[in-house]
Amino acid sequence: MVALLNRPWIWSFVGAAVVFIGALAITGGQGAGGMVTAAFSLALFMVVVGTGQMFVITLGPGNVDLSLPANIGLASAVAMKVMDGNDVLVPLGIAAALGSGLVIGIFNYLLIWALRIPPIIATLSASFIIQSVDISYGRGLQIKPPPGFADFTNWQVPVGGVGVPVMAVVVILFSIGAAIVLQRTVYGRSVLAIGQNIRAAWLAGVRVERVRFLTYALCGLLGGLSGALLAGYFRGASVDIGNEYLLASIAVVVIGGTSVAGGKANIPGLWGAALFLVVLQIMLNSYHISAGVRLVITGLVIIGVIVAAGGPKAAR
Amino acid sequence: MKKTGLVLSLLAGAAILATPAFADTSGKRVALSNNYAGNSWRQSMLQSWDKVGKQAIADKIVAAADPFTTADKEAPTQAAQLQNLILQGYDAIVINSASPDALNGAVKQACDAGIVVVAFDGLVTEPCAYKVTVDLAETYGAEEVRQIAKRLPDGGNLLYIRGLAGTSIDDDITKGVYAEIAKHPNLKIVNEVYGNWDQTTAQKAVATVLPSLPKIDAVLDQGGDAYGAAQAFNAAGRPLPLILLGNRQDELAWWKEQITQKGGYDSWSASEAPGMVTFAFWVAQQVLDGKDVPKEVPMGILTIEQKDLDKYLESTPVGGVANVEYTQAEVIQAIEDAKKK
Repeated sequence: MVALLNRPWIWSFVGAAVVFIGALAITGGQGAGGMVTAAFSLALFMVVVGTGQMFVITLGPGNVDLSLPANIGLASAVAMKVMDGNDVLVPLGIAAALGSGLVIGIFNYLLIWALRIPPIIATLSASFIIQSVDISYGRGLQIKPPPGFADFTNWQVPVGGVGVPVMAVVVILFSIGAAIVLQRTVYGRSVLAIGQNIRAAWLAGVRVERVRFLTYALCGLLGGLSGALLAGYFRGASVDIGNEYLLASIAVVVIGGTSVAGGKANIPGLWGAALFLVVLQIMLNSYHISAGVRLVITGLVIIGVIVAAGGPKAAR
Repeated sequence: MKKTGLVLSLLAGAAILATPAFADTSGKRVALSNNYAGNSWRQSMLQSWDKVGKQAIADKIVAAADPFTTADKEAPTQAAQLQNLILQGYDAIVINSASPDALNGAVKQACDAGIVVVAFDGLVTEPCAYKVTVDLAETYGAEEVRQIAKRLPDGGNLLYIRGLAGTSIDDDITKGVYAEIAKHPNLKIVNEVYGNWDQTTAQKAVATVLPSLPKIDAVLDQGGDAYGAAQAFNAAGRPLPLILLGNRQDELAWWKEQITQKGGYDSWSASEAPGMVTFAFWVAQQVLDGKDVPKEVPMGILTIEQKDLDKYLESTPVGGVANVEYTQAEVIQAIEDAKKK
């Protein structure tokens, strides 16, 4: 039990559980199943995007990908255009979205590496370029997904009265895979080593630039993947479909117990944090609170959870 | 600077001389001052301007109807653009303003130069400008409640999807909604969420609030969000309520789908049509023509009933918005109605 409490990710799950009980309090226990389904359906997108962001942030101070919202927007349009409403073309559309994200990730890395621009500036300016490409490519139009793909993103299997979103299960498997990559592969250990001390890692023979390249490419790739999935779930691509994920991708990483200073990553925490953020919205919406107060509470609660999670380790 | 002043006073003089002398606008040049073109509404607005403007030139009603667009909704850039239009000697400027007050200075300069300024959509507070106004509280908010009351005579539970928190548009519509709902005791708004007039945001907001709600009989909204709301009901496995719609093609296409599948879905669509730019154009033309025009001319909104859906769906491009252009006769009628008030 003590060992469990020492895990940095436990606090995000505690937070999610508390707000869940808070939400149920107003409905008198009604709608619990629906809330769980909605929470998992929306949280899974934050987890996919957050995983990419987590790898980047773990590279150490200053590393962050701010181009994710634009990346997601463009990938959603690319996926929908390639699929063209035809279920047969779904794999091709997903591949195109992945390709679009990958190119953006590589582009980000080139700006950072070749032109020596700090990642915050490089990815932010890249996002302006990407957004312009998206506007001229998508023409501000909403393009619909093929029916089969749309149904898949919203496929629920009833288990004991609760609809379990199949895509959430897939993303949980993906998270397990990401955890294995992070903890058990040379690449994952290299990311952690670079984040802890880039010079020590370099002296130990870690190929720093190659790992950084792979990490930004991976983050771009995951942005592309979420673009395609979001366009399916929300029934259409749009330029601003990824807007929420600028803050959310960083928030789930931080609330989930990953160190902003780099070198310490945490996959389970992503899920806890994503569920926490979504359930918090469910609770605030259920309480019928005005928009201003809602934002204030969201901010305060996020600060509270970060303080609770970071408190015991503040001594370092 | 001195030269500018001279040109301005010359122009002012010319305009003062010209207006009452010939009540004929065939020599007049009208400009459209716009500050953004990045969404389907503005694209349709520019198309409507182009269509009506070209026709008016062909019919020898005006000499020119030129559109000018700056980027990114920036007030300073649009102010500079207005100054250019003044120097170019246009007789009237139809403006969709980037700011309610930041352009007042430039608008005043235009008025002082004898130029007729007509604002629409993005209005200006400068009193010398004519304004095309829309009474959102009455024609949109309250009317939505009346339309629901008509379709649900036995009453029921409503979910209200608001727009962008803190905007005057959202406040106006909401005022109308609550004023009217007070007259219908059997309709109850059980919760409200913010959808930001955006499909994705609305779907998320509705998905997060639905589990805590009883059966919903109708959804009140502000347009642009109806499709997202429908998807959220669908994802939650809830029966589809009556959802009022906006003007986006995906909303109208979804409506058509419901009609085809269920043999009828008696909803109602309302929106500010981008063609309101043509309403403003005719107001400008009427002022140039020497007609007595009140400073505020109210315009109705575009509404679509189930029986007219096919007609509008046909003329709306995929991914675009439903639109309507106003004729000179309609605007003359609106001006007469405005004078009676």
